[in-house]
This record gives sequence, structure tokens and C-alpha cells, in this order.
Amino acid sequence: MDYKRELLKGNTECLLLCLISSQPMYGYQIIKELNRRSNGYFRFKEGTLYPALHRLEKGKLVKSEWEKSPAGQERRYYQITEKGRQALSQKLSLWEDFSTAIKTVIQPETS
Amino acid sequence: MTNKLANYLENLKNCLRIDSAAKDETIREISTHLEDSSQELKEGGLNEEEALRIATLKFGSVQSIAQEICEVHNQGSWWEAFFAALPHFLVATLFVSYYWQNTTCLLLVLIATTCVVIYGWRHNQPVWLFPWLGYYLLPVIVTGILLIYLPQGWTWLAALVYIPLALFIVAYIVRQTTNRDWLYTLLMLVPILVVFIWLTSSSTGGQLLPISAQLQENTLLLAGSFIILALATIAFIRAKQRWHKAVALLISASLILFSLALTNRANIGLGAGTILILSLLILVIPAWMQLKPQPR
Repeated sequence: MDYKRELLKGNTECLLLCLISSQPMYGYQIIKELNRRSNGYFRFKEGTLYPALHRLEKGKLVKSEWEKSPAGQERRYYQITEKGRQALSQKLSLWEDFSTAIKTVIQPETS
Repeated sequence: MTNKLANYLENLKNCLRIDSAAKDETIREISTHLEDSSQELKEGGLNEEEALRIATLKFGSVQSIAQEICEVHNQGSWWEAFFAALPHFLVATLFVSYYWQNTTCLLLVLIATTCVVIYGWRHNQPVWLFPWLGYYLLPVIVTGILLIYLPQGWTWLAALVYIPLALFIVAYIVRQTTNRDWLYTLLMLVPILVVFIWLTSSSTGGQLLPISAQLQENTLLLAGSFIILALATIAFIRAKQRWHKAVALLISASLILFSLALTNRANIGLGAGTILILSLLILVIPAWMQLKPQPR
């Protein structure tokens, strides 16, 4: 359980940037989307999302703006910046290399 | 908005020690999140009270979320850390170069400090503002003390006009800063305490003036004190955890005050000794409070 939490903690920024990269989203929408895409795999206290989002904004990887949602209520939408896209691309590339290396090590050798 | 939600948000607001604009925006954002969450639960068949209870439970504890948000907002960048430490470096330079005896130079520093303080105060009190505020308050306090030494007849003017006004300004700034975060009040007050210790330890026979000769003798030690303050300020601004910030101030102030007390050159009298002990208490108590385990 702790291992899973640590893995999630280490990849929160990557997950958030990935979700926001497709379209601007607000906090609750991000939680729902993460839940939907992961089939409920990622479980954490919803409030921990906001420090992560604010950290990304402080690092200028995302920017936020209050806009009306389709339902007509004002929500704080987060949008990825150019710097954020570059960071995401680097993180994804690193993640793919890491994941491939892990798989290579844990899979039984065929020959 | 129900009472329970209002209470939850009020608790969060009290725990958030960040600048007022960021605080308002964060509370508004979290409020919309909890409303969305409880609305969805209500649509799932729960009553309002139960929906809100589960929504806040899913959201997490007020203290731990507030702490994480504070860590993000209160950790300044290297640029902010350097700018916060700049007044200490400036004062150290003034002493090393002996320009502190040059009225024009002091006036220029005072004008620059006032401009920086006005700018920072009007822009939501960024983290770099507080050491500047300390130096801004210093002449206000010193002028009040000097007015007491005016010839008889003029002292009443000081007592009636200047001192209440000065006290009002000091109290207003301390209150506003403490509302934001009392750790910043300490950051603001530390240079004032150090200057007062220096002034009282350099005074002779209970007189504050003349002190220039004594200060001149201790130029390097004086400059060193402000360099230590500058380094502590950088550590304070860059630290994420509150207790790291408190300890940075405590260590630097203790270092300065004890080195001053132990040096043979310093003339620590009863007054300076009392201020020294009070200064350390002012710093030790908050640091101890921060070291106590925080509820998560």
C-alpha cells in the first residue's frame, strides 16, 4: 500500500499534466477524469490535488483562470503552458524508458 | 452554503497562512469542489448533511491540506530569497564601507526601503517584504526614542503627537503581518531586535547617544551580524516546513546575540541583557510551538 502511494506521489505531476494537456480542467473534473480513466485505481484524499496543482502553477507548468463551466457556475480551470508541455514530454519519455527497463528486468529471460 | 460547509471552510481559512489573495482564491476553489462533490452525492440519494459529511471526509483533513498548500505558497524562489535578504546585505555594506555615517546615503536607503515596502504592501505582501518592513519600522521606533531626549518643553509634543502615531503604525503593521503568519512577524522583528541589542550594548552610562565610536569599533562584528541575518533569511524563505523557518531564525538570532554577549568589546548592561533574554524568548517560544507535533 505504501509502495503504491509512493509510486503515485512520484508521478502525480505527470498524471495531472497529462490530464490537463488534452483540455483545460478544474479540480473536481480532474478527480473525476482520473477516476474514470484509471477505473478507480488511484485512490487518494481529494484535497491533496490542490497543493499539487498550485505547485504546478507556481512552476509555471500550468496556468489557471476562473471561467464558467458548461453548467454555468464559475470554476478555476487549469490549462497547460508551453513549459508544461515540454516538461510532460520529458517526463513521459523518462517514464517509458523506466517502464521498459523494469519490464525487461522482471520478465523471465526467453533464451 | 450550509453551516457545516461554512465551518469547514472557516477552519481551513484559519489554517491557511498564505497571502490574502491566494487564500481567498484557494477557499473559493475548494468551496466549489465540495459543493460539486456533495451535489453528486445528493443526486446519488444521500441527504444534504450526509452528502456533505462524506464530501469533506473524501476531501481530507483541514490541517494536512492547509499545511501542504502553505508549503507550496510559502516557499519562495531563490530570487525572492535574495531580495528578502537584500536589506541585511545593504546594512552590512553600509557598516563595512562606513557609509552609515553619511546622512545622504542613509536617506537614500530609507527612501528605497519605503518604496519597496509600499510596493510590497500594495501587492499582497509577498514573502520578500517582511525584512524590508522591519527596516522600515526601525527609523519610526528610533525617532520616537530620540524625541524623548528632546529638550524639556518639546517632549510633550513627542508624547502627544509622534509616539501615538508611531505606535499606531507599528501596531497596525504587526497585526496585519501576524494575521498573515506570525512567523513573518518574527522575520520582520529580528533585525529590529538585533539593532536594539547593538544600540543598547554600545551606549554608555545609560545614554543612547553618543554611540558612533563604539559602533565604529565593532564594525566587522556588526556587519557579520547582518550577514548572518541575511543567510538566515535566505534559509527562511527557501524552507518549506514551518519549523525549519522558525529554527533558521532562532539559530541566527542566538548566534548573533550570544556572540555579542560574549565579546569583550560589547558592553552588555542590565537593559541590553534584559532585551537579549526577551528576544530569545520571543524566538524560542514560537520555534518550540512549531516543533510540537501538528495534528494531521
